[in-house]
Amino acid sequence: MKKFISGNHAVAEAVRLCRTQIVAAYPITPQTPIYEKLSELEAGGELGGIMMRMESEHSAMAACLSASLPGVRTFTATSSQGLALMHEMLHFASGSRSSVVMANVNRTLAAPWAFWSDQTDSLSQRDTGWIQIYCEDNQEALDSVIQAFRIAEKVLLPCMVVLEAHYISHFMEPVDVPDQTQVDRFVPPVDIPRRFEVDNPRFSLGVVNQKQYRDFRRLSQEAMELALEVIEDVDKEFARTFGRGYGMVEAVDTEDADLVLVTTATITSTARATLPILRKKGLKIGLVKIRVFRPFPTQALRKILDSVSKIAVIERNISLGREGIFCSELKAALANSPVRQQIQGYLAGIGGTDVDPGMIERIVVDAMERKEAMDGPIWMTE
Amino acid sequence: MAINEIKFCGRGGQGVVMASQMLGLAFFKAGMYPQCYPVFGGERRGAPVVSFLRVDKEKILLKCDIKQADELLYFDTTLINVEEIRGLMRPGGRILLSTSEPVSDLEGISEHTLGLVDAPAIARKLGLGHVINTAILGAYCRFSNLLSMDHLISAIEEIVPAKREENMEAARQGYGELIITSA
Repeated sequence: MKKFISGNHAVAEAVRLCRTQIVAAYPITPQTPIYEKLSELEAGGELGGIMMRMESEHSAMAACLSASLPGVRTFTATSSQGLALMHEMLHFASGSRSSVVMANVNRTLAAPWAFWSDQTDSLSQRDTGWIQIYCEDNQEALDSVIQAFRIAEKVLLPCMVVLEAHYISHFMEPVDVPDQTQVDRFVPPVDIPRRFEVDNPRFSLGVVNQKQYRDFRRLSQEAMELALEVIEDVDKEFARTFGRGYGMVEAVDTEDADLVLVTTATITSTARATLPILRKKGLKIGLVKIRVFRPFPTQALRKILDSVSKIAVIERNISLGREGIFCSELKAALANSPVRQQIQGYLAGIGGTDVDPGMIERIVVDAMERKEAMDGPIWMTE
Repeated sequence: MAINEIKFCGRGGQGVVMASQMLGLAFFKAGMYPQCYPVFGGERRGAPVVSFLRVDKEKILLKCDIKQADELLYFDTTLINVEEIRGLMRPGGRILLSTSEPVSDLEGISEHTLGLVDAPAIARKLGLGHVINTAILGAYCRFSNLLSMDHLISAIEEIVPAKREENMEAARQGYGELIITSA
């Protein structure tokens, strides 16, 4: 059934549809409407599970992890400083191979204090061992949360679904909210190993020696490699069931392109709207969307981009002292490509500033005229 | 471009954000693809508030701010800014004003069609206090001619949290009392 709802509301609908048993969370702008909607559903008897109103995000993640180990389906949502405060527990959640699912609403990190979209909060959690999926609209946010439970419970790694402040969290759009029976078939009751018995409590996170630690890390890395296959399989099954699929990466009009734009999240959607305008002007521009950041879909990207000589990465984040994080990751992924490539990074939308078709066109013009790529990023302003 | 972009300007407490969401829902019920977003800052009662709505027949891919509008709704004439109107409005744009007094000093924007409705009087009469959004949206239906009253009434019924009957009546009266000043 189609509903006219915000991205936050769409996430809450997905959590309800997946019959999530424990939601442990702490409110923070701009994620709070997820928390509020889930509370409202719980109060109306529609959630099925239990809301735990925690005293901090750190505790929220500790609660989710503790519930996941005995085999319970768990969810939390946060943003910005909340995610930063969770950081320690994020490592615990992945290292102990839990299946926690989280929605993170990308928001600027302090200081200075602000409320707008910026991907640096979630990208800063790159090395915590979480699967990360970046969404471009409200529908994808809902669909990705449903997929996330399937992925996390299969590979036994936690999964973060990332949506942007404002452009998804607070934009209202028509969203297809699937039937409960359809979701029940797609996401069956949780069946993950029960590694903690409440009635027979034991220490569940052992102390290990050096070799054991190395071997655990290796197993987690193998799980990430397996996740590449699982994410694809789950997405294909999702497409068969619900008529919509996303892939880990998506290529648009890349076959004959003189320049390929690489984007993530909502900038992808605006770029989609810009491509036909550019084609009319005789500019053959392709687009590649990176949807999954961890595990990084290196092979999928190489398949599309190995033979492309000009690439422009447009992104709403920065690793200070380096460049946009997706740009660095992409350069590393393409380091072994047989063709010499010009990869230029553009910082657009930092701090939640506006990225419109005009800015995308200016980036295209700059990238087409550029003979050599700069090592550092190019800052785009109004 | 078939897309219709609408800006809502008012003050905290008048129901500006709710108005944009209600109108979005009404267009959704009419089978259109609306995309609505408020701009949050330090809202409080009386402070200026803006909200935006895009409407198209097809899925809207743009995830960026509305910088040019086809329609502008002012909930309060003290917020009128002729410079802003010049920069914002597309040619042939329409401006709907909630006002209790005749408007005479809008030099420089005479190329736009103006709609006037005394929404505060309607809201007062129906016991709605400062919440004038439903009266303005009723007037909007007739002013824009893009949406039927049935869809608006159905949207009000669905999302107005209190005084549903009074709000539906405010919309009907707003529709009836609209005055159009042609360009």
